[in-house]
Amino acid sequence: MTMAHPDTAATGIQGLDFLLQGGLPLGRPSVLRGGPGTGKTIIALTFLCHGIAQGDKGVMATFDEAPEALIQHATGFGFPAEQFVREGRLQILDMRPNPDDVSGHAIELTAVMTRIDHALKTTQAQRLVVDAMDVLEGAFATDTHLRSELGRVFDWLREHQATALITVGEQDNFSARHGLEDYVADCVIALKQSLEHRVMTRLLRIVKRRGGAHGTSEFPFLLDSEGIFMIPVTGSVLSAKVSSERLSTGIPGLDAMLGGNGPYRGSTLLFSGQAGTGKTSMAAALANSACQRGEKVLYVSFEESVDELLRNQLSIGTDLGRFTGTTQAGQCLVLMPVRAVELGLEEHLMRIMRAIRKHQPDVVVLDPISSLAGRHREDHAKAMLLRLIHLIKEVGITAIATELLADDSQGVSHLDVSSMIDVWIKLRRHEDNGEMNRLITLVKARGLPISSQVKEFRFTPQGLEIEDPYMGESGIAYGTNRHALQSRDEQTLVQLREALSQALRQREELDEINAAAERLARAERDARAMAIDRNIANLERRLAMIHSAKSTVSRSRL
Amino acid sequence: MTTRHYQLRLYIAGMTPAARRAIDNLTALATDLGQQGEQVDIQVVDILQRPQLAEDERILATPVVIRKLPPPIRRVVGDLSERERVLVGLDIRDDIFDP
Repeated sequence: MTMAHPDTAATGIQGLDFLLQGGLPLGRPSVLRGGPGTGKTIIALTFLCHGIAQGDKGVMATFDEAPEALIQHATGFGFPAEQFVREGRLQILDMRPNPDDVSGHAIELTAVMTRIDHALKTTQAQRLVVDAMDVLEGAFATDTHLRSELGRVFDWLREHQATALITVGEQDNFSARHGLEDYVADCVIALKQSLEHRVMTRLLRIVKRRGGAHGTSEFPFLLDSEGIFMIPVTGSVLSAKVSSERLSTGIPGLDAMLGGNGPYRGSTLLFSGQAGTGKTSMAAALANSACQRGEKVLYVSFEESVDELLRNQLSIGTDLGRFTGTTQAGQCLVLMPVRAVELGLEEHLMRIMRAIRKHQPDVVVLDPISSLAGRHREDHAKAMLLRLIHLIKEVGITAIATELLADDSQGVSHLDVSSMIDVWIKLRRHEDNGEMNRLITLVKARGLPISSQVKEFRFTPQGLEIEDPYMGESGIAYGTNRHALQSRDEQTLVQLREALSQALRQREELDEINAAAERLARAERDARAMAIDRNIANLERRLAMIHSAKSTVSRSRL
Repeated sequence: MTTRHYQLRLYIAGMTPAARRAIDNLTALATDLGQQGEQVDIQVVDILQRPQLAEDERILATPVVIRKLPPPIRRVVGDLSERERVLVGLDIRDDIFDP
């Protein structure tokens, strides 16, 4: 870690080391306090074994748990504790009080120090854990000198220059009562559990850190069979890697909606939609195409089990099962089913981040994130989701989230995370003519030229297909209706075309008829004119004949 | 009355006032027991000199006296100033002190 203080000993718990600016104060005693079951022993063990794994040697003095149990714990978290002991790199001192001991007055705890001192010398240990020191009080209740004795132990520890972590219970404010925090410890860490909505959250707080700044907030942490994990709320690096590389979604139509090449690598996509709108299928299709490119995908499924998801997606042509096997490059697709009801929000957040750290995926699918919000106070859920998305973005991982919208939500998202979303796609149902069709709209896409048209998408055996809707005489239509409308309109077109050609033909015929009629009329006219002309000539000839006959007669009478 | 043979080992961490008192108290007890006809061997171990013994005996606090023999092992912690408590703790018959 770049900000590491030089004089620190890392605990190996990443978030804690970050809070402590590197680790516990080197060569000095620190106190870790907390009630029963808060994780003191596990944190202390991790600190010790992490150091041993890094080449240090360690001594653990246990006042509470049996050495065998501690070895079992450490082995459970992946530390070969038994081997450490065999190789002389770890020594566990059984300091559990003998219940049969009869105690009297004037008890000195020199023996504790002598034994620890002896162990530190023989193992040459740099790290020391004293677990559950408060047990001493129970064992030697009659002694009033415990406080000064403990002070002596800490003075001696400081002289010894081993990095020591002393855990104490919270019983009757043990550490405060004996002045451990104010006077003797250089660093004090407090653990506690908080119960909210019947879900338990573990919290860690740095109470004191001599010679170094420290955050005063309470930080949630995770403790389970895989060890301890915590993410500091603040202090996360704010510079997300920005990539201009585009990632195909594997759905040509969707790529086209996003300016042709799909979204940017490292961006965050949200598919919002009501039940049955195809959110999971969209997410699975994107995961599928990432796997096909050889990228690693972490699929966090909050609702479907692994088998359900694989089966359901296979039924619409997305075979995710073929990527779940382990190859040389590790698992390509890691499916992580999470029951949303099981855990608190913080625990979800940390589990997801831990899985991300473990698998180092290129793409993370969160399906659906809304299931986290449902059970919790919404502002908490929003804050948690924002952090989760931010953390994922920070490491440059492409995130694909789905959000289930309630049927009565009228398509309005209640998560209010859109500020963190780069590409927001809304899916909805379009019910018409007894049929349901799926529509896809791009609400926003930062930095991309986007399509503003509502498109239709369908599941085909070849995968998801996005189609332009049909825009005809009577508006936009989708699905079968779209086909019906399309064919109806096509029929009309054919009919119209036929009518048109018919009319044109008629028009041509009319011309011909007219021409013919005209010809006929003209012929008739000509014939009549000729007949009249003939008649005129005839009449004139008869008139002429009569006239000439008359003049012949008159000449003869002369 | 049969004579019993007690083997007691007193662990101290340096010659502190409490250690000094414990030695004195234990010696006085042994003397009294000896007058009652019991045989008591006392061995004083300074764990500062022999820390491994403290480890082996899983000693947390000093002074502590351990009855090694006869079995069972008994331990009493402190400066042994309350004789009654010591006798009960080490399970040494206190009837021998009865008049």
